[in-house]
Amino acid sequence: MRHLIHNISKWTTSLYRVWRREFRLVFTDAGVVIFFFLLPTLYPLVYTLIYNPEIVRDIPVAVVDNCRTTSSREFTRMVDATEAIKIIGYASTLNEARQWHAQKACYGILEIPEDYGKNIGRGEQSSVIFYSDMSLLIRYRGFLSAMTDLSLATGTKIRQKLYNSDSQPINSSSIILGDTTQGFASFVIPGILVLIIQQSLILGIAMLGGGANERRLMNRGIDPLAVKAPATATIIGKALCYFTIYIPLVIYILYFVPIFFNLPNIGNIVDYLLFIVPFLFSSIFLGMIFQRAVTERESSMLIVVFSSVVFLFLSGLTWPRYAMSKLWIWIGNCIPATWGVEGFIRINSNGATLEQNTLPYLMLWLLTCCYFIIVLLSELLTKVKTPYNHS
Amino acid sequence: MILGILETAKREMQRLVCRRIYLLTMVVIPIAMSLFFLSLLNPGLPLKVPTAIIDLDNSTMSRKITRSLSAMETIEIAEQATSFNEAMDKVGRGDIFGFFLIPEDFEQEAISNRTPTISYYSNLTYFIPGTLAFKGFKTIAVSTSGNIVLTTLVAEGINPQQVETLLQPVVVQDHPIHNPWTNYSIYLSNSFIPGVIALMILLVTSFSICSELKQGSSIKWIKTANGSILGALIGKLLPQTIIFSIIGIFCQSLLYGYNHFPLHCNPLVMIYAIILFVIATQAFAVFICSLIPNLRLAVSIVSLIGILSFSITGFSFPVESMYGAIGIFSYIIPLRYYFLIYVDQALNGLPLYYSRWYFIVLIAFPCVILPLLPRLKRALSHPVYIP
Repeated sequence: MRHLIHNISKWTTSLYRVWRREFRLVFTDAGVVIFFFLLPTLYPLVYTLIYNPEIVRDIPVAVVDNCRTTSSREFTRMVDATEAIKIIGYASTLNEARQWHAQKACYGILEIPEDYGKNIGRGEQSSVIFYSDMSLLIRYRGFLSAMTDLSLATGTKIRQKLYNSDSQPINSSSIILGDTTQGFASFVIPGILVLIIQQSLILGIAMLGGGANERRLMNRGIDPLAVKAPATATIIGKALCYFTIYIPLVIYILYFVPIFFNLPNIGNIVDYLLFIVPFLFSSIFLGMIFQRAVTERESSMLIVVFSSVVFLFLSGLTWPRYAMSKLWIWIGNCIPATWGVEGFIRINSNGATLEQNTLPYLMLWLLTCCYFIIVLLSELLTKVKTPYNHS
Repeated sequence: MILGILETAKREMQRLVCRRIYLLTMVVIPIAMSLFFLSLLNPGLPLKVPTAIIDLDNSTMSRKITRSLSAMETIEIAEQATSFNEAMDKVGRGDIFGFFLIPEDFEQEAISNRTPTISYYSNLTYFIPGTLAFKGFKTIAVSTSGNIVLTTLVAEGINPQQVETLLQPVVVQDHPIHNPWTNYSIYLSNSFIPGVIALMILLVTSFSICSELKQGSSIKWIKTANGSILGALIGKLLPQTIIFSIIGIFCQSLLYGYNHFPLHCNPLVMIYAIILFVIATQAFAVFICSLIPNLRLAVSIVSLIGILSFSITGFSFPVESMYGAIGIFSYIIPLRYYFLIYVDQALNGLPLYYSRWYFIVLIAFPCVILPLLPRLKRALSHPVYIP
């Protein structure tokens, strides 16, 4: 019994020593400080500033009015009054309008056919043609919803005028959940924030590993700054060090940044902080796995940086996960950010509870355990290769 | 000088072959990423958004709405919910991206002209599925209302054909130019694949230049090029230019050849564009290296810029709508000009004349950095590695 207590206290002491030493290593390495502090502090601000205008308003559109009647001009005025569209002028022919488009003076062309006014007067169906530039889908989305709304509104208006019946038999109301303003930053930033946490952790940890490796190369396989400790204490001690560093950062990123920029933030802070705990640990252990692949401080970046794009897409933020093939869903399942993004968005933007996010939460703990075991095994295996005679 | 360039190129090729990281970053990652995007986005549109319907009325009319909803291409009724709270709970769990609510006594009120309200909820925290659900719901809500009007007016004795017109007097014929399927892969792959290539060019260029500083081999490098910094750079970067251009053209062949994405211009235009884009991006990395001749800092900075350029070049959010002080940065990134050339040439098929400035800017990138080269040479002649 006494032996056991002695062992535990010895293990705890070495855990503490690893934790303390890792702190020193983090703060004495300028590269790691950049990735652990500067990047998570500045990136959320820069990203949000890029997308902060939220909504694309007044996209320039040219009109080719072949009808030239009161009703066609009225329709044009209504188009101009929509939030998404701004009429920049009348082109005399479609060719002229296409030239404007080629010069990037407009991104859409509205063509009103000759018989538009006549058809309206006769009570027949008339059509207008809208050509839309497809380089950016957000513009197309704006055009489409503006034109559909307009077509419905004109319908109601003409009906009232002709038959004097405002017989709208049914009201319909549309309620937008989560991103209520339909803004771009409000949609993309909450997910990006979580991804930034994971990537900065992986980059920083990989760089620490590269540094240790370089020290080993210079010292015949021994890292003079490593603390002699059992493998479990080494891994957990380091993980706890990174975890301690990230607690204030996480509060800043997930709590303050959405408030600064008025992004959706209706989640319960206790819920998402509890949720983020396994996310941090699984990211830390994933970073330690990456660390194994890195031999040099700088090459870590060459490998890790591009993975941000992969993880962004696998998380389902831009392309929904239900539409992915089984392969990508399964690979996505192995990435902490996939579950982190999903859970945090639901808690933060939809006001879901931790209980509703049971699956992501448990998956994150599962990933934490799996990655810990992988790190532990590889640590034990490398220990055999380079025996430790240093104290 | 030609001899010096050739010697440096030979030396560089040996260096490239020696380290696995170059094979990985120059060949494997760009190709793997292209395949990743094309495979992930292969469906083009994420149809069948999981949604739910709450039918509190259970009448002929409400069941008809349910049937038309499930017949929609964009949405799928994945769940039946019995109450608003249940549906909201499912949204919170992420099972559904929206739901459609038909209130109690819906049919009765509609027929007796008491104007019931149907409501639909779309979860926009996921943009694409949220929008698709919204569009599907809206169509059904409008056509339901229309059908009732139609029935009433026909009963009043108005010609059914005329009623049809009344429901929608103005039809908007929508023409998405050269992407009539609104295929997301055409849009995303064409912007993200060059983005990844740019990121890898930035990383490899700055890594290969500054690691000479770290290893202290930069003096030898300059000497191989007979002391000319321009020759040394050309000799070093030319093999990389060739490799990256081949990879870029291969990725283009995946996009336009294998996947038949819109290519409404002479393929040579896009090939020229990617070669110029590779050179301009390399020049950008040389620019950073001359400003900060330090391996770690240079690589950190180009990776930060490389990642940010996915957002700041305005693939997803237009530069004109960004804050001026932010949007201005998009103009110093070569990726933006390649993207604009792609839009003008491959997507819209405009005459080359309209893209002339983008080509000129891409050509200008390597010229603009020439004055900085003496600074880089000074740094390379006195290599110091600060860990």
